[in-house]
Amino acid sequence: MSELEQKIRSEAERLLKEGLVDVVIAFRKEDAPLRPQPAFFTHPEDLENLTYNGLCANNLANYLTRYPRETRIGMLVRGCENRSVNALIVEKQHSRENLYLIGIPCTGIIDWRKVIALTGEDILGYEDTDSTLIVRARHQTFRLPRQELLHPSCQRCVHPNPLSADILLGEALPEGDPTLIRARVESFEALSREERTAFFRQEAERCIRCYACREACPMCYCEECFVDHNTPRWTESGTTPAGTHAWHIIRAFHQTGRCTSCGACERACPMDIQMTYLTDKLGKDMWDYYQFAAGMDDKTQPPFAAFTMDDKKHFQAGGKLS
Amino acid sequence: MTDHKPKIAFFQCHWCLYAPEDQEWVDRRLPDNIRLIKVPCTGRIDPLFVLNAVQGGAEGVVISGCLPEKCHYKEGNLAARRQLQEFSSFMDYIGYDEARLRFVWLDLQDRGRIQRELADFENQLQQLGSAEALAARQPLEEGGAHE
Amino acid sequence: MKYLLPKNELYSRLARWSAEYSILAPQKVGEYSEFLPFTAQSELCLQEPHNTRYPAKALFFPQSETILKYNRISGQLESAAPESQKRIVFGIRPCDAKAVTLLDTVFAEGDNQDPFWLARRAETFLIGLGCHEPCATCFCTSTESGPFHTEGLDALLTDLGEVFFVETLSERVEALFSELSPAEAAQQEIALAVQAAAEKSLPKVFELDGIKEKLDRVFDKEIWAELSQSCLGCGICTFLCPTCFCFDLVDEAQRGTRVRNWDTCMYRVYSLEASAHNPRPTRRERTRQRLMHKYSYWWEHAGKLGCTGCGRCVRYCPVGLDIRAMIKKASAYESEAQHAN
Repeated sequence: MSELEQKIRSEAERLLKEGLVDVVIAFRKEDAPLRPQPAFFTHPEDLENLTYNGLCANNLANYLTRYPRETRIGMLVRGCENRSVNALIVEKQHSRENLYLIGIPCTGIIDWRKVIALTGEDILGYEDTDSTLIVRARHQTFRLPRQELLHPSCQRCVHPNPLSADILLGEALPEGDPTLIRARVESFEALSREERTAFFRQEAERCIRCYACREACPMCYCEECFVDHNTPRWTESGTTPAGTHAWHIIRAFHQTGRCTSCGACERACPMDIQMTYLTDKLGKDMWDYYQFAAGMDDKTQPPFAAFTMDDKKHFQAGGKLS
Repeated sequence: MTDHKPKIAFFQCHWCLYAPEDQEWVDRRLPDNIRLIKVPCTGRIDPLFVLNAVQGGAEGVVISGCLPEKCHYKEGNLAARRQLQEFSSFMDYIGYDEARLRFVWLDLQDRGRIQRELADFENQLQQLGSAEALAARQPLEEGGAHE
Repeated sequence: MKYLLPKNELYSRLARWSAEYSILAPQKVGEYSEFLPFTAQSELCLQEPHNTRYPAKALFFPQSETILKYNRISGQLESAAPESQKRIVFGIRPCDAKAVTLLDTVFAEGDNQDPFWLARRAETFLIGLGCHEPCATCFCTSTESGPFHTEGLDALLTDLGEVFFVETLSERVEALFSELSPAEAAQQEIALAVQAAAEKSLPKVFELDGIKEKLDRVFDKEIWAELSQSCLGCGICTFLCPTCFCFDLVDEAQRGTRVRNWDTCMYRVYSLEASAHNPRPTRRERTRQRLMHKYSYWWEHAGKLGCTGCGRCVRYCPVGLDIRAMIKKASAYESEAQHAN
């Protein structure tokens, strides 16, 4: 058991024993290899199952909207989860007073698919260390460089540290390189129109419309999603190009100024569809035109929720706000 | 190619202060390639509407609303502008030319402007050629398409 | 009959078959394999331990299918039933082949004679490839199947290194293999040893005896809330499941088509009624439905278990939920409750 895991456990234990929270949302040991599960601890004695390592892939902020605002929640938050929590508080999905955020500077989430591609199927156990993932498979032990195993969103991560945690466990990490995420959007923008359409179609048309991207996203908490609405029906229902294009375009667009670039959508996708190039573009525009980044605090309204008369000077020109 | 009349979806805010003769032209004498969709305010236009038009084969989309301070609902057009402007640049990002989406904010004084804008837009669309890449659905026909 | 198919003759053999049949075989797309049409350029993916990502049921029951075209004004209707086609599905795994026979009980038994299913099923041969190296997510030995189970197959291949050991299981495919040299007793013995080793590498994770009764008894217990707590409510487990068959009929009025799409009990809207009442309002009921359908209700409507242990739901679940552990916990819960009483 790592030192960090021990710290999380004792903090969770303190919160539950002192009755400061009703539930602690964290991760527990996996049933299927490499797949720790989100877990909800209400009794201190269950905490022996708590685990934390780089394979904890879900954005736990996703579960925040399942509880009434009165529920006092202790939640494990990494940089992106903290921003998602902030964005949810802005949208009044929970009250900050009833949250206790256990912050962890995050060294990045390991993509289990990349691990399996290198080690094969039969994994008996693993250990996540600072720079290496040690995997014991049936026939040999692998020592894999951690950085290469990270999920693409994590390789581009700008803010690995929780911004507004109540307690920070572990040393704060240096901030990430903000140009990486922009560079990816810019290199996509630099492609020809035909190439961009071809890429979009190649990704979107693989979609099986399982909506795992929606369900894994903390910001997709609508009671009724536009694709589920059928009076009138807004999009085609099947896996036809019309249906999958509409889903990918509008899902991403609904994240404008709300997406915190955690990458949970891509991690959840069973078809390995790339989606963050869409949301990151919107995030970049929000920064360029409104100097807004989602989740950096729990007060500022996203640009689409606020508009000012000042906009009007850019109105007739049709030009972008600057 | 020049005889090709591009299909245009034309969203008009119904409070839009057109000169009476312009409104009469829009309501009764709009050319066949332009389909008029009236909305209570540009703020009502969900990006889904625009997408639906594009997928259904519209080669261009016109959104016509009131001037900034003249919105009947005070700021519906401001909200619309923020969203739809970004939507058009987002569509451009995935390959749908943003020149195919045009905003026309106008007033009673802009006599005859809507005809000029539509004619100019039509001209522009003709230059751009066809927009098949994202027109994923068959164009709508009366009673539903039947191949 | 038992034959030997040398691996270096495989492609020429498939090419010869393709004159008469369209052949679908697993091929690599990115990290995963998929059933795609076999062409002269195809490179098959038969050595990977894991199965195709997308289930083989889609070859018979596609995710979105137009079943009717219409014109609202003229009232003209046109059925879109497919024509039967001679096909060979090559390299299907035993779990998926068994799943196809389970779906026969839904689409082709008694009064249920689905023309779409029947047309695709009638002249399609299933030539299976046994799994000599089952994955960590596999549990077919626990679900009345196995890495070399033959149910639903017309022939089964066992990988012996240089050659495939072929066992034909139906008259109709005999002609495909008749030119091959028959396998001798020694090779058959090797094949049996490979099969036994694979079987042994996958110990049972639970016993099916009495599992239905156990689950039925915990139907209204709190265990389901616990099991479904981390469930996201997406459709991965059911869409990728080879035996899930729920579908929804939708009129695409703008196109003038009626479409049959896969549907899933994991969605909130699946059981939502017009009155706004939802008999399965939360993930608790929906998770219960998925598990109970496979491990309890299937026994009622088909006399069989509705899971073949392919492990896709385990492998692709975005929160790492494992149906094996869930079933074990749910059936164990009952005994705890008994102790409490």
